[in-house]
Amino acid sequence: MSAEQPTLATLGGSPSSTSKLDRRGASPEGVPLLEVQDLHVRFHREGGQVLAVNGLSYRISAGTTLAIIGESGSGKTVSARAVMGLLPETATVAGSIRFEGQELVGLPEEELRRRRGSDVAMIFQDPSRSLNPTMRVGVQVAEAIRAHLPLGRREARERAIELLRMVRLPSPERRYLQYPHQLSGGMRQRVMIAIALACYPKLLIADEPTTALDVTTQAQIMELLLELQGQLAMGLILISHDLGLAASYADEVIVMYAGQVVERAPTRELFAHVRMPYTRALLDAVPRLERPAHSLLPIVEGQPPDLSRLPIGCPFAPRCPRADDACRQAPPLEEHEPGHWWACWHPHRDDGGER
Amino acid sequence: MAAPLREILVPSVAEGGAIEGVGIGWARRLSLDIVIPAAVLILIAGGCFLGPLILPIPKPVGGNILSANLPPFSPGHILGTNPVGNDILSQILYGGRVSFEVGIGTNLIGLVVGGLLGTVAAYRGGVMDAIIMRILDVLIAFPSLVLALAIAEGLGPGELNVIWALSFFTVPAFARIARAATLRLREQTFMLAAQLAGTRSWRMLFRHIAPNILPQLVTFGLLGVGVAIILEGALSFLGLGVRPPNPSWGNMIALGQQTLTAQPQLVLIPSIFVFVTVLALNLLGDALRIRWAVS
Amino acid sequence: MTAPPTTNGSRVEMPSGGEALLEARHVVQEFELRNFGGGRGGVVHAVSDVSLEVRAGETLGLVGETGSGKSTLARTLLQAPRPKSGEVLFRGVDLVKLRGRKLLEARRHLQMVFQDPFGSLDPKWRVSEIVEEPLVAYGVGRRAERRRRVDELLDLVGLDPRRFGSRRPRELSGGQCQRVAIARALTLNPALIICDEAVSSLDVLIQAQVLNLFEQLRRELGLSYLFIAHDLALVKQVSDRVAVMYLGKLCEVGPAESIYREPLHPYTVALLASIPRPDPAVRRPQAADAIKGEPPSPIDPPSGCRFRTRCPRAEERCAIEEPPLRPLRPDHLVACHFPLSQAGDRASVAAGPRGALPDQPSEGSGPTP
Repeated sequence: MSAEQPTLATLGGSPSSTSKLDRRGASPEGVPLLEVQDLHVRFHREGGQVLAVNGLSYRISAGTTLAIIGESGSGKTVSARAVMGLLPETATVAGSIRFEGQELVGLPEEELRRRRGSDVAMIFQDPSRSLNPTMRVGVQVAEAIRAHLPLGRREARERAIELLRMVRLPSPERRYLQYPHQLSGGMRQRVMIAIALACYPKLLIADEPTTALDVTTQAQIMELLLELQGQLAMGLILISHDLGLAASYADEVIVMYAGQVVERAPTRELFAHVRMPYTRALLDAVPRLERPAHSLLPIVEGQPPDLSRLPIGCPFAPRCPRADDACRQAPPLEEHEPGHWWACWHPHRDDGGER
Repeated sequence: MAAPLREILVPSVAEGGAIEGVGIGWARRLSLDIVIPAAVLILIAGGCFLGPLILPIPKPVGGNILSANLPPFSPGHILGTNPVGNDILSQILYGGRVSFEVGIGTNLIGLVVGGLLGTVAAYRGGVMDAIIMRILDVLIAFPSLVLALAIAEGLGPGELNVIWALSFFTVPAFARIARAATLRLREQTFMLAAQLAGTRSWRMLFRHIAPNILPQLVTFGLLGVGVAIILEGALSFLGLGVRPPNPSWGNMIALGQQTLTAQPQLVLIPSIFVFVTVLALNLLGDALRIRWAVS
Repeated sequence: MTAPPTTNGSRVEMPSGGEALLEARHVVQEFELRNFGGGRGGVVHAVSDVSLEVRAGETLGLVGETGSGKSTLARTLLQAPRPKSGEVLFRGVDLVKLRGRKLLEARRHLQMVFQDPFGSLDPKWRVSEIVEEPLVAYGVGRRAERRRRVDELLDLVGLDPRRFGSRRPRELSGGQCQRVAIARALTLNPALIICDEAVSSLDVLIQAQVLNLFEQLRRELGLSYLFIAHDLALVKQVSDRVAVMYLGKLCEVGPAESIYREPLHPYTVALLASIPRPDPAVRRPQAADAIKGEPPSPIDPPSGCRFRTRCPRAEERCAIEEPPLRPLRPDHLVACHFPLSQAGDRASVAAGPRGALPDQPSEGSGPTP
């Protein structure tokens, strides 16, 4: 089967698309693929504002994988939609989002639409809700292609079939004609990936791509994503609540809570030296095969904060076992160790390796 | 687990605190789109039922022929009189009673009888469902006006007969809706949980199903009152239903039609009242539907 | 988390492995599909001849992916709906044969907590009414006594009855709703609670809180659990024994540690290998370890062993003959013609009686129809 896998070299197309393919290192020198600085997103509702994202900063380079980890309400999905320009009217975005140096915040919808899909693409959690149930899957892929490339219907169809083959969908010609309900969850997600990759974007944002899938399918899909990332030299942002995914697939990890970054580090560094109590709590709460039965988990009480009424100071303080009066003042996110950022007055210190 | 965008916008509940605006009582939940139509309806209905008791309005029938065809703003007859000498305002108010009684009566019957039928059909399923629904299907298949006419013709004139006639299709209409809503509800986990808790059928129907489908039925009912008022108007217009000289908005329009050019107000005034009432009902029904769908 | 007050003030000793509290024998559940024309469109073989038991005082974990039939099995055990065939014994009484009042009585000490915290509570009811419902339905006590019991239960699950008693589900968070559901399940002093993906919809930290609640209740009230989930790590860390299901059939049943350290069935091995560990030093799940292909449809399951279409060890025999579930080690059963032994190479399953479960055929059953 691998002999049939199309590689960059074999995928044809118009001259403009070929030059798009060979762009490893084509990014201007020193400019990261995506740079987000001090991003704030507010939603206006009757009765107040919801502060969904409060000062998010990160950057990602081509060919690397960044995992954004957080629970519900952490702002991880909202921030991704902000990058894509997919927020509703009620949202206000402040701060900077630069894609290859070009500022995205404040761009008119036309400009954003041009980039959406061709430069930056996104795949979502539930493929059955993101695919049009009344349209054949192949046609949906072809549509995504023709939205950005000047291809005729037949050419687009051929390219769509190649894409379906690229995402390892068995019998792509046959599947092209099928409807979403005829495919399994894993296959639908592959179709979603094919749609997202239709124009070989430089950056792919995957928002909980495997949460709705079985764990065995998850392994297949994650491997596929990594392989495609390598082939296309894409940046990959992986949004999830699952620290296991981050540990296995990401180069760098950001942990978000209440719309802010609370800890950020290269993967190995983060798991070897967890500093933020929240990250520690997340790690402790993950189910583990090694744990003996009937043990009580170390837990943190309470609920995530109300985003329309955030407390002053550190947002995690109400639940943090290490909080004290100093936490009434919000700790800044700083690079306390090389490559390792955190925002905490009372971080965990080294105690000989964490699990 | 990623929350859908809508969940992100609703604040999560801090330990112990209630979500703002919810559970704090009625006052918080009223908004203009509900208050205005409701106020209009209360005004009109209040006028129709209470007006003649409080205000010095002449009787709607038995008017003096000598004071026929008075124009609006005549002394003693603020809206004028009709060709037989009856005060128009009085006719409007008493006619309005008919409209409201018919409208509310037939929809109340529809809601209770139809709602019960549809709910039981969906809950029991099987043969009972099939029988009930086939009977109702037959009723729905008739064009509503034709059916109403036939029944009114058969039963004879009078307000009560209009109510029976119109109930022949409010009942199936409500039954359809109740059935669909109950079928949806049956799939919900809390229904299974209630069964596992030992709750028996009748209790399930009245304590679990009814409260959850009632909002839908009520909003449908409000729109239905508007429809019923118009249908009553049509029936009266066609000579069935309430017979003159007893007033109803429908027969007022019918009679006024004969002197449309000379005295347009005889048609216009009842028409405006029908229009405003039905509009208010529709707006209120819509607003409540939106409000109740969200919660 | 502070320990909730106990109802009887004393801790209960946990017997491990005792007599069977809940026993399923050859349970079959199927659903007919109707196609558009109204005719028969096929049969979904959701549960095909499953036999297992939950012993007094233990937690049996049941793990399976989409289409495995685990949730269907849970509801079938509770007779909602009744199985097409088979027996379900709770405390020795076969629930399948009972109807109406008798079924309610026999099922009284068997309860369930569902996956969707909001969906399992009637949105029009208040929390105290929800928790009170089983008492009302079974005619237990008078109003004042019932109110007291409700308050006691809410305290037990960590919700202050004064603050939460009059709230409606939409005013609660997911974790709080689930606590209400648990309180409701505890109302009639159950012996066994079936948790059907009870924590799968909750955020990680809240999930840990609720899991701890389950454990504390287990210790204080002597509860047994049938804990169902698709996450093997989650199941394993709460269970004494684990059962693995695939496409309506059991693949492997055994002690949790045994399943983890020495899995016998290829599907169990693949499940374990697919779980990403929160440790970058551990090798990430590889395609080679993961199972290939897509899960087949339960409408038309493969002949013989249902896993054979995706099994790296499948051979001709697997298509012809369905492997029976039989013990390879003490209390560790597997349904496979070529299970993995300690040495990792093939071993043919020794013929022999099934041991723990009565009335089982000593030889394997024939191929599936």
